[in-house]
Parts: sequence; structure tokens; C-alpha cells
Amino acid sequence: MRALLTSKWTKVVVFLLCLIPLGGLVWRGFHNGLGANPVEYIQLTTGDWILRFLVLTLCITPFRKLFNLPDLIRFRRMLGLFAFFYLCLHFLTYLGPDQSFDLGGMWKDVAKRPFITVGFLGFLLLLPLALTSTAGWIRRLGGKRWQALHRAIYFAAIAGVIHYYWKVKSDVRMPLFYGALVATLLLWRLGDWFRKRREGASVKLAPQRMPANPAQ
Amino acid sequence: MDEILKIAPLEERIYRHRCVEAWSIVVPWIGFSFSNLVKLVEPTPKAQFVAFQSYYDSGQMPQGRWAGINFPYVEGLRLDEAMNPLTLLSVGMYGETLPNQDGAPVRMVIPWKYGFKSIKSLVKIKFQKNMPPTTWNLAASNEYGFYSNVNPNVDHPRWSQAKERRLGEIFKRATLMFNGYGDQVASLYNGMDLKKNY
Repeated sequence: MRALLTSKWTKVVVFLLCLIPLGGLVWRGFHNGLGANPVEYIQLTTGDWILRFLVLTLCITPFRKLFNLPDLIRFRRMLGLFAFFYLCLHFLTYLGPDQSFDLGGMWKDVAKRPFITVGFLGFLLLLPLALTSTAGWIRRLGGKRWQALHRAIYFAAIAGVIHYYWKVKSDVRMPLFYGALVATLLLWRLGDWFRKRREGASVKLAPQRMPANPAQ
Repeated sequence: MDEILKIAPLEERIYRHRCVEAWSIVVPWIGFSFSNLVKLVEPTPKAQFVAFQSYYDSGQMPQGRWAGINFPYVEGLRLDEAMNPLTLLSVGMYGETLPNQDGAPVRMVIPWKYGFKSIKSLVKIKFQKNMPPTTWNLAASNEYGFYSNVNPNVDHPRWSQAKERRLGEIFKRATLMFNGYGDQVASLYNGMDLKKNY
């Protein structure tokens, strides 16, 4: 497993796999497969893949710890950037075909419609994460600050789920499904944080007790 | 069915169809004005509204329970709306009988209202005194009113109704008041506040 995760070829394969949704759309585009409303089809498909990639990205840390697979970290940035890549396509289909590249009209729409507002908020939250995803930016910001900034993905994922939930006309099964996945992954982190805090507290207490023990 | 087809001669009507979710299409329907059926039925003066009901069989349509709306689907019109010559009882489209997904065997087409008002697969038509309940209004009354006339000035709470995407086109075009049928139907709503009666 370790050899598989650390091989440079695995990264290439994962990269190509992440391009399949885009390839599917292009193929359908050339084969009359985008349905009666192609723009809407592309919007819904890219929207789905944003949430899937966000969920996969959020899976990395729990899976590393639960299954003792630290090398999974090699894929986290790529998965996060693919979420952002499909988000860019999603946003462009909104800015272009829906808003005719009219920024003034877009701002009015963003301000007026809660489901657009919360989707746009998700975009704004992920934008700095994509820009600071390089090793250079980790160094410049320092590990702690970089990590704090990149926790914004939690809020972006929540925004994405709310955006989806508010968008559907009546059948909320899929938004609730993604909501449950994101909630599970975030609650695991909360649990992990509490566990670490407790352990951290007992580690701090330990040295105070030690001198009191004459056997030391 | 044979009796329905004998009510009036069938004609082809090419109508704009505007979905409440901001897409549109031009459809050549086949049918006759619903008013022909009303004249045949001779409702009493007490009848002010027409209530429609769609076919529903939970065994044949198991996905229905997940739709988030109650079935059977019900719709309604004011009698004067139903009597308007544009209001069509349709049995076909594109020169053929209606496919199941488009509302076979008989459906309504009300071209100046959002598509969901044009109820499909009719099994019951009732003339009555009171305004009938309508499915989408029951599901979300703040989003879907009884009238649901196409109106670019009254937005859906979650999206704009000012523009629409004609299927097959990339960019959106302006939506017309009453879907462009104002000359024929605007007088039905004289004196009404269409922002309140959406």
C-alpha cells in the first residue's frame, strides 16, 4: 500500500482520473449528449463534481489517521485544486450563459438571491486557498497560519451544501446526502480536536507531578 | 377518448412555452380550444373555477413519493381564463399523439402561464364555485401562486424571471409579459395587482 501511495505514477493516474468528468462533458458535447438544456447540464454536472472533490479532499486527513496511511497527504492538494477547477467551470457557466458576462447584473443577482450569495461565498472562500496552495506560500505564511487559512475549506463545503439545498425545487435527497458526508467529516475533526486537547492537557500536567515523586 | 376527439376539429397551435425555471421552447401542439368542452358541459352560473387532476398510480410511479410534492397533481383556472380561446386542450404535438412524458393522452396548454400550470395526463375536470388548490402552491405558496402568469417583473424568490434560455441557445433572452400573449389575455387581469396575485 505504501509503495502504491508513494509512487509518482499513482499521482499521474489520479490526475488523469480527476479529468474524466471534464472529458465526459467534452465527449457529450461532441456527441449531442448534453440533453435539451446543455448549459444547465454542465452547471449541474460541474456542481456535483465540486462537492465530490471537496468531500474527497476532506476525507484525506481522517483516512490518514484512521487507516494509518500518512502518504495520502500527497493527493490532498491535487484533489482540492480539482474542486476549485470544477468550481471555476461552474462559475463561468453562470457568469457567461446566465449573466451574459455582465458583472453589474451578476453583483445584483449575488446580492439578491440567497442561494447565489452562498454559492458565491463558497467561491470566495476557496479562491485564496487555490492561490496559496504552493510550497512557496506555505513557507511564506508559515505552517500554522497556512493551516488556519486552509480551514476555510470547512466553510466552503458547508456553503456548497446549502447552495445545493436551496437550489433544488423539491427533491432534497442529494443535497442531504452531501450534507451528511460533510457533517460526518467535520464532526470527526471536532472529535479529534477535543481528544487532542484532553491529551495535551494531561501531557502538561505530567511534569508538575513528576518532581513530587521521590522515586524519580 | 374517441368522444373527446369529436368535441371539436383538431388544429395545430404553435405556442411559446415558458418554464418557471427560466427556460423556454416553441412547441407545435395539436388540440382545440378548451372553451369547446366548456360549452358542451354547460356549467351553471355558480361555476367560477375549473379544477384539474392528473393521473397517479403509486405502484406504476414509485418515484412519486420522493418528488417532494403530493400526488395526484392538481391545477386550476378561473373560468374566464379557461374560456380564453388560447387555452388549449391538447392531444398531440409535433404532428403525433402526445408521448407519455408530455402528458398523454390529454393535457392542458395555457401559453401565457408558467409551464407547471399546463397540467398533464388529465383524469378529472371539475367546474366549481371556489378557487381550487394547486399542487405547487400547496408545496411552496410563497414561490408559486394560483395565477402564475409569466411576468418578467415578478421574480421567483430564488431566481430572476426577467430572462429565459430558449432551449438550444447559449445566452438568455428577455422574457415577455404574459409570455408575449398580452394582447389576448391582459384584459383578464384588469385592476388586479399582479405582484400580489403572482
